[in-house]
Amino acid sequence: MKILYSWIKEFVDTRLSAADIQDALTMAGVEVSSCRFLGEGMDNVVVAKILSQRQHPNADKLSLCRVTDGSQEYAIVCGARNMKQGDIVALARTGAKLPNGMEIKKAKIRGESSEGMLCSEMELGLSEESAGIIILPPGTEVGKPLSDAIGLADWLLDVEITPNRGDCLSVLGVAREVAAITGEKVVMPPATVTEGGGPPAEDLAAVDVTDADLCPRYSARVISDVTIAPSPDWMQRRLSLCGVRPINNIVDITNYLLLELGQPMHAFDLDRLAGRKIDVKRSGVPRTYVTLDGAAREILPEMLLIWDGDGPVAVAGVMGGQNTEVLPTTTRVLFESAHFAPASIRWTSRRLGLSTESSYRFERGVDPGGTMYAADRAVSLLSRFASFSVASGTFDIGGGRDFTRSVPFRPARASRILGMECPGQECEGVFGRLGFSVRREGEASWTVGVPPHRFDIEREIDLVEEVARITGYDRIPTTYPESAAPDFSPDDRFVRVVEDASEFLKGQGFTQAINFSFVPEKEWGKHASLLGFDAADAMRLSNPISDDTTMMRPHLLMGLLHNVSSNLRRFQEDIRLFETGKAFGKSLAAGHFEEPRIGFALYGKRLPENWSGGQSAVDFFDAKATASSLLDFLMTKPVHYVPTVSKPFLAQGRAAEIIMDGEIVGWVGAVRRELSSALEIPGTVYYGEIRMEAALGDRRPAAQFKAVPKFPPVVRDFACVLSGQVPVGDVLAMVSGLSEEIESATVFDVYEGEKIEKGSKSVAFRVKIQPFDRTLTDAEVNSIHTKIVKILENRFGGKIRTS
Amino acid sequence: MTDPSDRLKELQEAGLRAIYAAANESDLLDAKGKYFGKKGAVSEILKTVAYLPSEEKKRIGTAANEARGALESAFDARLEEIREKERLAKEGSGLLDVTLPGRAPAIGHRHPISRTLFEIVSVFQRLGFSVRCGPEIEKDYYNFEALNIPKDHPARDMQDTFYMDWPGMDLVLRTHTSPIQIRTMEAMRPPVRIIAPGAVYRCDSDVTHSPMFHQVEGFAVDRSVTMADLKGLLTEFCGMMFGSGLPLRFRPSFFPFTEPSAEVDIRCVICRGAGCRVCKDSGWLEILGCGMIDPSVFGFVGYDPEEYTGFAFGMGVERIAMLRHGINDIRLFFENDIRFISQF
Repeated sequence: MKILYSWIKEFVDTRLSAADIQDALTMAGVEVSSCRFLGEGMDNVVVAKILSQRQHPNADKLSLCRVTDGSQEYAIVCGARNMKQGDIVALARTGAKLPNGMEIKKAKIRGESSEGMLCSEMELGLSEESAGIIILPPGTEVGKPLSDAIGLADWLLDVEITPNRGDCLSVLGVAREVAAITGEKVVMPPATVTEGGGPPAEDLAAVDVTDADLCPRYSARVISDVTIAPSPDWMQRRLSLCGVRPINNIVDITNYLLLELGQPMHAFDLDRLAGRKIDVKRSGVPRTYVTLDGAAREILPEMLLIWDGDGPVAVAGVMGGQNTEVLPTTTRVLFESAHFAPASIRWTSRRLGLSTESSYRFERGVDPGGTMYAADRAVSLLSRFASFSVASGTFDIGGGRDFTRSVPFRPARASRILGMECPGQECEGVFGRLGFSVRREGEASWTVGVPPHRFDIEREIDLVEEVARITGYDRIPTTYPESAAPDFSPDDRFVRVVEDASEFLKGQGFTQAINFSFVPEKEWGKHASLLGFDAADAMRLSNPISDDTTMMRPHLLMGLLHNVSSNLRRFQEDIRLFETGKAFGKSLAAGHFEEPRIGFALYGKRLPENWSGGQSAVDFFDAKATASSLLDFLMTKPVHYVPTVSKPFLAQGRAAEIIMDGEIVGWVGAVRRELSSALEIPGTVYYGEIRMEAALGDRRPAAQFKAVPKFPPVVRDFACVLSGQVPVGDVLAMVSGLSEEIESATVFDVYEGEKIEKGSKSVAFRVKIQPFDRTLTDAEVNSIHTKIVKILENRFGGKIRTS
Repeated sequence: MTDPSDRLKELQEAGLRAIYAAANESDLLDAKGKYFGKKGAVSEILKTVAYLPSEEKKRIGTAANEARGALESAFDARLEEIREKERLAKEGSGLLDVTLPGRAPAIGHRHPISRTLFEIVSVFQRLGFSVRCGPEIEKDYYNFEALNIPKDHPARDMQDTFYMDWPGMDLVLRTHTSPIQIRTMEAMRPPVRIIAPGAVYRCDSDVTHSPMFHQVEGFAVDRSVTMADLKGLLTEFCGMMFGSGLPLRFRPSFFPFTEPSAEVDIRCVICRGAGCRVCKDSGWLEILGCGMIDPSVFGFVGYDPEEYTGFAFGMGVERIAMLRHGINDIRLFFENDIRFISQF
C-alpha cells in the first residue's frame, strides 16, 4: 500500500521524519519496504510554457515544440499529443536524471535537435500510468522548479500490511500506529456537513437492510445538484501517487476516503436507482450480473447484493454495477458507507475471482464504528471544491450501537509469555497510546476496552502482543530454554541414516540431485507400460502450476533419467547421480502412501579419465555393488538379489530385485533402451532404487563377539563348468552354508567362450576354511573339499575342471 | 721387519680406501677379499697372532680385530650405498611424480540444499531438539485448520496452496512444515522440543520462489517457555549459521499460529548494512519467522494454554543457502546441473 508522509501528518503532527517513520513502523510490525522522496530526480525539471508547436517533418507521431522556462527557449521533440500552444508543462532540461532512471541529453531525433523533454507523470514517478505529458494549471509560474510548483517536498512510503491488520489499510490506520509508537495524538479531520434546504434524505430515498447478519451497519448520505467534474489537482495527484486513477469528483472522493480512512464507499446515481431505494440482501437464487468492469459475474444464492426497487445494483463490498454508476449527467448521488461481514465478502470475492481495493479491506475488517463519519467526511471534503446541496438527515442502519469489545488481561500473563517484567503501569501506558480503555478488577486482572477497528484483538494473547510490539521486541531479553528431558525418535535416526547414505554415495562418486516431487503425467502416461505406471494410482494436483507438475511421482527414475540426459547435453560424459526423496501413490489400505527412497543412476565410464588405463564402461555389477555396499555401509540386514521381470523400466535379464526377509526393498538394473532413447541418452543407464524404510526397518542385530582365530586358514580353489542358467549366487550361498568353518566363498573368475561348451560358463571359486580351535588335518580339509565338489556336481550339475 | 700393528694400520687405511673407491658390488667384494675376507691380509695377520708371545698376542690381536671391525662396518655401509645406487639406476630416476592424480573414482558432490538442511538440523539437535518428519501430502486440517487458519480467512492468501485432485479427501501439498507441530503435539505431552525438516510446496515460481522448496520448523512447549528463550535460542542459531557477532533483530509480524509473532532479520551478509540490491537497501535480510505458539493451536491438540507455553520458528532452507553461497536464482537448485552442484 502506497501512502504519503504529508497525508499521515494531517492525522498526527508527528515529530518523526519520513525515514524515522519507516524505521519505527517496521519495528512495530507494519513493514515499510521503501520510502521515496518525491523531489528526487527533479533537479533540472522546471515549469515551462509551450510557445509554438508544429509537426515533425520526418515523423508522423512526433511534434516539434518551442518552449520557454522564462529565461531561455528550447527546441523539444515530443511524442505526446495532448498539448497545445500556450500550455504550461514540465520541462526536463539536459542534465536531468529522472526518477525512472532516464538521463536527459541533447539529442537529434529524426534529424531535429531536442534540448530536453516534456515529462509525463509516470516519467516523474508521480503515477503508475499516464496518457500524455503533464499539463499544469494555466497560472503556474513559468521557470519555477516543478517540485516547488506542485509541492513535491513529500515522501511516498510503501507499506506492507499483514492480513490481521486490516485497520492499517489507510492513512488513518498508519497514523494511529505512529501515534501509538510516539505517544502523540491522532487528530481526526473535520467532517462537518452543512445540510441544505431541499427535501430531507428520507423523502429522496429509502434504505433497508434485510440481511443484517451480513451487513451490521449501513450508513448513507444523499446530495443533489452536483456537477460531475474533474477533482482538484492536489487530490488527483494524491490518488495517482497511491496508484488510483482519477476519474471525476464523485468517484475520486470515494477512492480518496478509501485511502484515507480505509472505508470503502460507493456512489450511486440516485436517479438511476429504481424506486430510489436501497436494500441489502442475499441473491437468493443463482444469477448473472454485470459489474462496473463490464464482466458478467455468476452470482451464487448466498452472495450479498445491494438492490434497488428492481434488482441488484452492486455486489456488496466487492464492486458496483454498470446500471447505477455515476455518469457525466448525474446530479443526485447516494454515498454508501457500510460495514459488511468479513467472511462473507471474502467468500464472495474468492468465488467470483474478483479482488478489489474494497473487498480487500472489507474481508480484513472495516471499522463498523466509522461508517457515518466517513460518509460525512466525504460530503464535507467534496464541498471544498464542488457545489451541491446536502439533503438533511442521514441513513444509518445499525448505527448507535457500541461496537467496542471487552478483552480480559493479566499483566502477569504478559510477563510469563514474554519472559520479562511487564509492570501494570507500562501495560496501561501502551493501551492508552493505542486508544484502548482499561478497567482494573484488582491488580492482577483487567478488562480492556478495544475500539472496533482493531479486529485482530479478541483475546488476552492479542493484548500481550500489543504490549510486546509497542514496548519493542528489542526490550525482550535473551535467555535460554531450560533443558528438557531428552527425546529420541525414529526420525532422528532416519535423518542421520539418510545423511550417512548421502555421504557414502558422495564418496562413491555420486552427485546429489533434488528433483521436484511432481512430474508431468503426460510423459508418464506416454510411457505408462514401460514405467509400470497405472493412471488409477496417480496422485494428481488439482491446480498444477504447469503441465510439468501435474502429479506426484510414483518412483524416482524419471527425474534422474532426465538429469542424466540434460547433463549429457551440458558436456558431461561420465555421470553418477543420486537422489533421496519420496515416491507417492494411492494405496488400498491407507488412502495414499509416500515413501522415502534413494535412487541412483550410473552412466559412462567406471573410472574418471585417468593416466593409468582402465577405461571400461559401467555395467550391471557396478550398480549392484553400489546397492550392496550402500546397504552394507548402513548395516542393514542381509539381502539377496533375484532376477526380476516386475520392473518394466529395467531391461529383462539385466535387472534384479533386492530382497530382505522376503520383502522387496529395492531394485537395480539396466534402464530399458526405449526409455533412455526417448530422453536422447545414447548409451545404457544403470539404475537402482532403495525403499529406505523397508530396508532400514530392522537394523542388523548387534554383532556378538567371537574369538579371533588363532589357527591358520586353508584356502582351496575350485574351477567348475556350470550351465549358464545356474545362478552363481545360489552356489555361493550353499557352499558358504556348508560348514561353520567355511569363512567365505568367493568367485574370482568367470569365463564364457570358445574354450567351453556353448551355453555354459566356467566359474572359479575360492573357499577359505577357518578352523576355530585347531589346525586342520589334511583329512579334514579333504573331507570338506569332497563335500564341495559333490555339491557342485550333484546339486548344480557342474563339471570340475582340472588344470 | 715392521711391527705388525703398523702393518695393520697400513692395511686398514688401504682397505678403507679400496672400499670407498669401489664403484660396484664386485669391486667391493674384491676389496673385502684382499683385506679382510677369509684370506685377506688382515685375516692372515690374525691367524699369526696365536704364535706370538703372550704380551704381543693381546696387543696385536686387539689391533687386528679393531682393523677388521672398522673395515667390516665401512664395507656394510658402502654395500648399502652401492645397492641403493644400483636400485635407483635400475628404476630410472626412481622419483615418482607425486603430482599425478591418484587412481580412484572421482568424489561426488552433495546438493547444497541437502547439506544446508542437515546443518540446520544438526545445530538444533545439539541444542537438545529431536527430529520429527511428516507427510508431504497433508490433510487440510493439519496444514491449515489446526494451525488457526480457517477456511475463508485472509491468512490463506499468504500461501498459494496446491490441492490434491481427490474429491472428499481434503488433501493439500503441505505449504509449510508447521503441520508437524500439530501431529507431534497430538502424539505426545509436553515437554516437547522438536526440529522438523522437509520439502514444502507453494503455487509460485520465479527467481526467488520455487513451487517446491524446503523448510525447517522448530518448536518447544513446556511450563515456562518464553519469548525471551526464543530470542536467545535463535540468536545462538544465527551465530552458528552465519557467524557469531552478526547483528540481528526481531521485528513484529503475523502468523496465524503464533502470537506474538516475529520475523528475524540478520545484518545483510552482502553489504554489511550499507545497503545493496539483495537487502533492497534496508541493510537487513529476513531469514526466519517465529513466535509464541498461539493458545488456539494448543486448543486443537488438547494442551492447556494456562499450564503450558511454547514457541515455534520456521525458515526456508533455499533462502539460507542462497544467502550463504551467493546464489541469485532459486531455480538453479532444481536443474541438477552437475556443473552447479559440484561447486559445493
